[in-house]
Amino acid sequence: MFNKIKREWLLLAAFVALALPPLRQFLEQSMVTHMLVQIPILAIIGWMIGKSLPANWKNKIASWNQWGITGMALAIVIMTYWMLPRALDAAISEWYFELIKFITIFIMGMSLSLSWPLLHPIAQGVFKLEFWATFMRLGWLYLDLPDRLCANYLLSDQRILGQLLLLGGSAWAIAWVFRIMFGTKIINT
Amino acid sequence: MSSTAVVNRKIEYSESENRNALIAVKAHLILGLAVLLLMMLAGLTMRAVQGTWLEIGADLFYQIMTVHGVGVVGAAGIGSTGVLWYFLRQYVRLSNTIFWINFFVFVAGVVMLLGSIFLGGYGGAWTFLYPLPGKSMGVWSTGAAAVFQLALLIIGTGFLILYLDMGRGILASFGSLSKALGLPQLFGRVPVDTTHPPTVVAGTMVLIVNFLGIAAGAVVLVMGLINLYNPEFQPDALLMKNLIYFFGHVFINATIYASVTAVYELLPRYTGRPWKTSKVFYAAWFAIVFMVMAVYPHHLMMDFPMPRWALIVGQVLSFGSGIPVLVVTGYGALMIVYRSGIQWSTTTKLLFLSMFGWAAGVIPAILDAMVTVNRVFHNTMWVPGHFHFYLLLGLLPMMFGFIYHLTGEGRQGEQPKAADNLGFYAYLIGAFLTSMVFLASGANSIPRRWATHMAEWVTFAQVGTVAAALVVLGMLVFTFRALFSLPKAAEPR
Repeated sequence: MFNKIKREWLLLAAFVALALPPLRQFLEQSMVTHMLVQIPILAIIGWMIGKSLPANWKNKIASWNQWGITGMALAIVIMTYWMLPRALDAAISEWYFELIKFITIFIMGMSLSLSWPLLHPIAQGVFKLEFWATFMRLGWLYLDLPDRLCANYLLSDQRILGQLLLLGGSAWAIAWVFRIMFGTKIINT
Repeated sequence: MSSTAVVNRKIEYSESENRNALIAVKAHLILGLAVLLLMMLAGLTMRAVQGTWLEIGADLFYQIMTVHGVGVVGAAGIGSTGVLWYFLRQYVRLSNTIFWINFFVFVAGVVMLLGSIFLGGYGGAWTFLYPLPGKSMGVWSTGAAAVFQLALLIIGTGFLILYLDMGRGILASFGSLSKALGLPQLFGRVPVDTTHPPTVVAGTMVLIVNFLGIAAGAVVLVMGLINLYNPEFQPDALLMKNLIYFFGHVFINATIYASVTAVYELLPRYTGRPWKTSKVFYAAWFAIVFMVMAVYPHHLMMDFPMPRWALIVGQVLSFGSGIPVLVVTGYGALMIVYRSGIQWSTTTKLLFLSMFGWAAGVIPAILDAMVTVNRVFHNTMWVPGHFHFYLLLGLLPMMFGFIYHLTGEGRQGEQPKAADNLGFYAYLIGAFLTSMVFLASGANSIPRRWATHMAEWVTFAQVGTVAAALVVLGMLVFTFRALFSLPKAAEPR
């Protein structure tokens, strides 16, 4: 119990640290750290908080989240919104958009953690593929587009992000291939 | 779990699951057969038009050509999936629901395709080669081209979902795809297990190549759709062509590798001899995983900006791509049948015919994959000659043989009925003639995909029309047999 509380406090502290100006400004000064560090960490904090919710809370939510559909739909809407360059620009320029970003990404992580285990294995596979395809799609787009997508970031930053997304996606694909081709039993049916 | 432990224990399903699965397989086969019959009628119409025995507008001709191309590939896909799924589910646990989902997604896609072609007027061929769908010069609308590509995207998504389920099932039973392919046995890490199911090896190969092929297809379809509505987005035309042919070649090639499971599973039942797997068998199937994916550049030999090495790889691998599995399967089939006392029913005749069609059909393909030959034969009737041979005499007899098996034909030692014999020989002669006339036309430099033929070419088309009519006659017998006998047929023992 003590450990559990301690972990939740740590997560809360990490969330606050991310929201405070030094770290927030440091991470948001580059498109790469904004999209590949700050946003994923916020989602991970939400995911871990979601995991440590009391069982009776989870049960109450589960009745509204049959097969994980509601939670995944919510997560997809949030994810789609924060993939819009305009939204990312707004988060930097307007404090209330920044606040909305911190709250919604956290909620996205939480809804993912509550919904993922409820999903059918095939649906999990479809989502994994789609997440991976999004990495590759955006990576290609950021590299290929001649113009800046975000008003707050340089074209060179966008290009680096594109390269990193393609690199990450490729690493993910290779890891996946090795796991499926040569791994031991990984799925229980 | 080792593969040895699995093969000795077939997957147990409940009575209702088995009943539902059999209905689903029959639905796949009947749909595939019905679409194939319609597509053969479409083919007959085109040959009659080229032979000046029938007159239709050029627009309608290209619409028919489009529906024929996409319809045959689709029907081959759904039918061969039915064959593979039926046998694979005996070794790995597969979901009936996912199988049905793919079926209905496919049906929805077919409706969209028909709408885009016959209501929207799309006639840009199944290849949807960029930038043709967006540059119809007023023959069809952007919407029609978009619905056509969207339909293919939807159909592909259905197949991807099905392959995810097959992958899940194979991983759950065998632990990894390499074990399912028999690679630890091939490389001597575990002793060779001759009872490792050939169906699982074939199913795993089909899963790997088709998953990647359809994924490439999805990418190019999305790029094409973006271009249709945002013409400023102009992707690299050569990249698009590469992706389209990778997708198309892999998909149609995979249908025969999926259907060959019928040969592996059924010939042993009719001869009483098991189909034993071996190191050579595993090596052949392992090689074909890569070869099927790497040969497609033989479609791009006239595209001079293609990297030289890709064309060389395409040519060299095309020489060898048919050989590994074909030799293993063809030789295996001959050895299983030789002096086995097999009773020749329509099922076994069709399965055996498929071995001939596969083996012989690959020869014109190999010829056309040589750069020097391709320079002359490219986009001539030689190309349809090759794939009509391969599909009419190789792939379809595997599917038809399986259908006859499911109808229970030959179960009580009865002789094939006269109608079945008529159907078989009409089909055999018609299919052989159809293919040979195409090949002869190609050798005489008659171009493919032309609605109107020059006077010198008309005789070829007229002979081709008679041959196509024979194919349709055989196909009608097979279809009636399937429609009347298949729905009520019980699960064969």
